[in-house]
Amino acid sequence: MAKQYGFYFDADRCVQCRTCEVACKSVRNIEPGIKWMRVVEIWGGVYPNVTRDFFALACMHCGKPACIEVCPTGAISKRGEDGIVVVDRDKCNGCQDCFSACPYGVPQFGEDGIMQMCDFCAEINIDPACVVSCPTEALNFGILDELLEMAKGKAAKRMGGPTEPSIIIVGKLQLDSLVA
Amino acid sequence: MSIKSDGLKEAVESVKAKKSEERMVPTICSLCGPMPGCGVNCYVKDGRLIRVEGMKEAPTNKGTLCPKAFASVQWVYSPQRLRYPLKRVGKKGESKFKRITWDEALDTIASRLSELKQKHGPESLAILAPARRSYCDYLQRFLIAHGSPNYGHSGLCFIQAAFGFAYTLGWPWLNRAGADYEHANLIVVWGANPAYAAAPLGNLRRILDAKERGARLIVIKPEMQPDAAKADIWVPIRPGTDGALALAMLNVIINENLYDADFVSRWCYGFDKLVPHIQRYTPKWAEAITGVPADQIREVARLYGTIKPACIVTGNAFDQTADSNNAVRAVAILIAITGNLDRPGGNIVPTGSTMPMVKSVHLRERYTQDFVDRLVGPEIASCFQPFIEGTSSAYYRCLDSVLTREPYPIRAIIAPGTQPTVITRGSKRVVEALEKLEFFVVIDIMQNSSMPWADIVVPVATMYECDHPFEVMGNWIMARNKVIEPLGEYKSDYEFWLDLGVKMGYGEDFWDGSIEKCMNYQLENFGMTMEELRAHPTGIIYEPKPLVYEKYEKIFATPSPRLSRAPYLPQGKVAIYNTTFEENGFNPLPEWVEPPESPTATPELLARYPLVFFDTHTSDVYNHAWLRNLPYLREIQPDPWIHIHPETAKARGIENGDWVVVESPHGWIKVKALYFDGIRPDVVMGLHGWWQGCDELGLPGYPILDGGANVNIMYSTDPDKAFDPMVTAMPKQTLVEVRKA
Repeated sequence: MAKQYGFYFDADRCVQCRTCEVACKSVRNIEPGIKWMRVVEIWGGVYPNVTRDFFALACMHCGKPACIEVCPTGAISKRGEDGIVVVDRDKCNGCQDCFSACPYGVPQFGEDGIMQMCDFCAEINIDPACVVSCPTEALNFGILDELLEMAKGKAAKRMGGPTEPSIIIVGKLQLDSLVA
Repeated sequence: MSIKSDGLKEAVESVKAKKSEERMVPTICSLCGPMPGCGVNCYVKDGRLIRVEGMKEAPTNKGTLCPKAFASVQWVYSPQRLRYPLKRVGKKGESKFKRITWDEALDTIASRLSELKQKHGPESLAILAPARRSYCDYLQRFLIAHGSPNYGHSGLCFIQAAFGFAYTLGWPWLNRAGADYEHANLIVVWGANPAYAAAPLGNLRRILDAKERGARLIVIKPEMQPDAAKADIWVPIRPGTDGALALAMLNVIINENLYDADFVSRWCYGFDKLVPHIQRYTPKWAEAITGVPADQIREVARLYGTIKPACIVTGNAFDQTADSNNAVRAVAILIAITGNLDRPGGNIVPTGSTMPMVKSVHLRERYTQDFVDRLVGPEIASCFQPFIEGTSSAYYRCLDSVLTREPYPIRAIIAPGTQPTVITRGSKRVVEALEKLEFFVVIDIMQNSSMPWADIVVPVATMYECDHPFEVMGNWIMARNKVIEPLGEYKSDYEFWLDLGVKMGYGEDFWDGSIEKCMNYQLENFGMTMEELRAHPTGIIYEPKPLVYEKYEKIFATPSPRLSRAPYLPQGKVAIYNTTFEENGFNPLPEWVEPPESPTATPELLARYPLVFFDTHTSDVYNHAWLRNLPYLREIQPDPWIHIHPETAKARGIENGDWVVVESPHGWIKVKALYFDGIRPDVVMGLHGWWQGCDELGLPGYPILDGGANVNIMYSTDPDKAFDPMVTAMPKQTLVEVRKA
């Protein structure tokens, strides 16, 4: 199997400090209102026995990307060498079908109406800004198999779901509420 | 407030360098405070800062950063940047200014200060302190050279806890610098916010690492902030009642014999007097005040009393309550009697590094009793002055004296990087004081909320626009580098004080205006000059000294910064029973002092104001009263808010996201109600510092008085109830009602 890059997210270490969100925006120069990375929160229980979890949500470069299947212009593709899902902005017609198809609401549309999202900073050829700046080391990225290896000894597993998101999650995290 | 910013674009264009390639310049971020210290790599293209990243070589942030730092580009190039010195031409508060030259600005300030000094004495000048930065010692130097003791320190941040720890345990920084996370099996985060307060500096990482290896975490605070979300036990306490909880924990630990009898008998003074004293502070008693069930109080006390070792990290909850000195002393005694003082995994006194001492610019050696006696409103009680930051009057009291004229009126105020209109309590009184003040100078990089009342506005460079000073963080020293050419007619804060010193005739004390000499003076012990330090692009890291524990004889003999240099602890032991305080007319044992308004202090107010209101000191994206004009940050928190429990809101017909009026006995604000499942239902929490608009996102600014979003109009400033008599510590607790706007 070809290499698949993905995220590593440690739910026990994320504190929703927003560093990844703003690092992404500033390094990629993203316009107001648009987020390629956002940290969502998930509440559970009833006061005082409440739980509060966080999840850093960006494109998870799925194994079976729903966005690619529905794109009428063939603007979205999955790179063979690393499994990164990329958008050809010249081909995109702004129909937003990908947004409807994505279970996680990832595709973003700014002023120009063209789809935009995380590409693991491939376009500017740096390690993802969100990952390197994370002050708690909650986020990482790399080849999925190696990430799983790295998580050995921790309660870690690849996230499930029909689109096979490329992300290893450490800790208990109830992600049902994320699915649109 | 409208100040025209036309011409900035041209200014930006004019400094664009010819080079088209990116280059990287390392420097140190200072977008938060106090004492920022993250290494930051700045990328510059065509003379323009285009992005930042964390500096891997920095031992503090190790390549990571925070959202504030990542908004740097928007900050530097903000249309709200001040570009040249201004002089007020309209009425106070009108925001009508005219551009003046640097010479005129310095001449005006120097001549007004000289005139006021001659007529009313040097103490008629106060300088208000910003969140601690490396230029704070220059403010003290200027005041001392001028002859004024009135360094207007917050009266509500950091020094309050430092005071209680110093005079009880012998070392001021035990709570933060002293938490030995690496060896702790229990960590208690108490009224602090390690997730939002300078997270990259490492405390948060260390707590999470400890947790990963099995240490337990207890977090005590009214709402489930992210650190509390990670806790094994979250203790949702009523704001301002931490001291009552600490006293009840002492009660349990002592009555259940969970204390370290050996340590107590060898190293503590007055334990025998504490035992009968704390009998009244039962868990049941504390439950009524704190809202924490007695059983949970017992559980937390037993865990802290039995899990060894354990460390406690306290935060601003202890600096912003009328009970401050008592609460801190109670926690300090908890640390001592459980045997967690200066032992592995407890609260320790670090051993430092091989780094030489930086020569201070403070001029501390010139203090005399006369300085102390002339304080307009001592922040720390006079008998304990000077304290760590030198002599200080409370920020609010400097302003209040303009109105009360007691013991004399301050006539001139300089506010560098601080906004009295929104950052201290009693904003209505503050605005009145600014109206009446004879001379007011504002120094900032950005238009700010206090500017409309300024006689002179001085624009200063950002840290990206100057090549000094050097900064020290622990065992790391690094010279700042100039990343871009200044976008306006700027001096740095450091240059400003040197230049003003020279203009005032204090040139001898200000290196005749030479910033180079000033830097080199401070580095004398290093055997290198600033330029030689700069040759180390990411600074120098000195060897940490090996940790040594149980240094009790040394710690308990630490001299205090008072003029007498008498040790903090006269018995050479932990001051459980504090004879120093007793001799000066204060309570020798920690007691409980109610907030000015609370369910137990003023039950008669509950019918009209049934909820407890307080505000949080730190934010994930804002720094006090700044940064709300930056789109990257503002879109995360677009509107001023309160967190409210959904049940509390629904009972008032309030939907999530509704605008609401929050009214206390002292004022009202209009903010958005955000449902928050993890907050005490009898409490609502806001954030301080709202006034700024964000033009790029079309978001408005807010008035600083009634009807705005400034929490500081909500609190009591009653001279008898709203000040801790020993350390000021103005409370941030009141009672409110919330209704749909």
